[in-house]
Amino acid sequence: MLRRDFLKYSALGSLYPMVAGCDQSAKWGRAAFRKKDSSRVAILSAARYDQPLRDTIIRGIEVCGLEVRGKRILLKPNLVEFDPKGVINTHPAVVEAAIDSFRSLGAAQVVVAEGPGHRRDNEYLLSASGLYDVIKEHRVRYIDLNSDDVRSTPLRSSFTDLKQLYLPETLYNADLLVSMPKLKTHHWAGVTLSLKNMFGVVPGAVYGWPKNILHWQGIHQSILDINSSLPLPQFAIVDGIVGMEGNGPLQGRAKNSGVLIFGDDLVAVDATSARVMKIEPQKIDYLAKAGEFLGNLYQDKIQQIGERLERVQQDFTVIEDFEHLKKMTS
Amino acid sequence: MIDQLSNTLIAAQNADGGWGATPGRRSNTEATSLAVSALRSVNAGSIDDRVLRGSIWLSEHQNADGGWRLNDVATAGSWTTALAMIALSPFPEHQKRVLDAARWLVGQEGSKPGILANLILWVRGKRTVNELNADLVGWSWVPSSFSWVEPTSYALTALKKVRSSLADTNVNERIQQGEAMIYDRMCKGGGWNYGNSKVMDYALWPYPDITAIALIALQDRAREPANQRSLQSLQKTAAEVNSGLASSWAALCFDLYGQETREWQSLIEKGFEKNGFLGETKTLALALMGFNGKTNPFRI
Repeated sequence: MLRRDFLKYSALGSLYPMVAGCDQSAKWGRAAFRKKDSSRVAILSAARYDQPLRDTIIRGIEVCGLEVRGKRILLKPNLVEFDPKGVINTHPAVVEAAIDSFRSLGAAQVVVAEGPGHRRDNEYLLSASGLYDVIKEHRVRYIDLNSDDVRSTPLRSSFTDLKQLYLPETLYNADLLVSMPKLKTHHWAGVTLSLKNMFGVVPGAVYGWPKNILHWQGIHQSILDINSSLPLPQFAIVDGIVGMEGNGPLQGRAKNSGVLIFGDDLVAVDATSARVMKIEPQKIDYLAKAGEFLGNLYQDKIQQIGERLERVQQDFTVIEDFEHLKKMTS
Repeated sequence: MIDQLSNTLIAAQNADGGWGATPGRRSNTEATSLAVSALRSVNAGSIDDRVLRGSIWLSEHQNADGGWRLNDVATAGSWTTALAMIALSPFPEHQKRVLDAARWLVGQEGSKPGILANLILWVRGKRTVNELNADLVGWSWVPSSFSWVEPTSYALTALKKVRSSLADTNVNERIQQGEAMIYDRMCKGGGWNYGNSKVMDYALWPYPDITAIALIALQDRAREPANQRSLQSLQKTAAEVNSGLASSWAALCFDLYGQETREWQSLIEKGFEKNGFLGETKTLALALMGFNGKTNPFRI
């Protein structure tokens, strides 16, 4: 099967604009607009997973001005598949430190939730990844978003042809959704970060495994519609201590980057994370479009705190089809 | 162990007679179908009140067209319809419902490329990234989408149980198509994952639960070399994964292939003691079916 066939029928996206027409200028309305005048993103050093990470995460939350006291926090790591030789998932040490941090800052409740995109075996994924020990030790509830009760939600943008989105009830019982992706390249989307990580909140019981309806609608378009329509505020903590380069999100190579990246504007966080990988964010379709209405894409609108970008930048390799993303113009 | 699993499952039944994915969640077709199948499998001689209420929940939630949705808000699904058919097939009073569902299921097809899309794709694409044949049609999770291994396997198992009553349909043709699709998606070395054996020149690995589900659908072709390779794959991956879901599906599958299941029953017991299978109705029900070993609801 050809690559383009595969994009259309299995992971798909690039064909949609060709068939449906490329004019996507009026795909979002006032209700979807939440871009601020400027956004704050923190890049903080964290060299290893076996070092104390709690203080770093507390600092990241505080310097971004996030108020968590009394709030119900929903942590959404990236737990998509397990390969003992790979670095696919958000490391459990980062999730553990986040649980500890939000609790110590006075959160009313912390739960961990994910809707894995490939596997239906939660027990295996949790155990193999090491996350089961974390949630057991910290007595945190884990919610399988794939089989959660669902609610129909109107879309605030229309990049896909979907009429509405079915979202887990768990999202409506939280005050803050914390996207905790791995810093990774992605063989269909270019990069997978805090916005793409939201594919995991969409329930497989409605959309199937590997959430194929969204793939039919186009990965870039689905990322935009999901993120524009989420019913609660978001924050991002990107696990860039060890990222993944090359043929991500599953079969790439480990890349030590030694950073955690924080912010309440997921577009700004992802744009900064892409720059850490020496990838041009405005060349990634969904980020470029998200930069029009969901958040800030350009550096002059992002107040960066912590490490200097130039000091932490790493040259993440990408597959041949995305070589153009590496030609930095900013 | 059977009493423990049965009691845990019974305690999770909702007041409306159905089961949710975990205790406290709204009843849905997958959980209710598997729970009904499991509880009936341990007490096949008589109809327990709990099983009866579960079967009534299923009968009351069948769509007018014969299919079943996962729940009140989801669209119709071939997989949920197949599981409900398997659950209700032992009940004489529900035979019309099962056949109505079968006719609906025969008419469902996963989507494949259209002429325009094929032309554009042919012009644009040059690079081989996987080996699946998109023209082989099975069943999709959701109408109007691509065919995948798990929903296709459920549909094959359900339809093979009632194919003799569907002589006026093209059920045999659809079964052949579905089988061809499943064999096409097999991983190198045997076994299946959700439905991609290879992406971007890299081989993907099989999952034990999906391998067992596919082998159950292909149980009437047990001597095929592909089945035998996949049984070996299942033996290896189910032991490695060692989860309640993997062990339960493995026990059910090996039972249908006439092989020893005590190893898997032992793992089911240890797994339940360790974490209660996270309270998941699906795993509890499959564990009960796999541990019991007397009546296998997936036998065609």
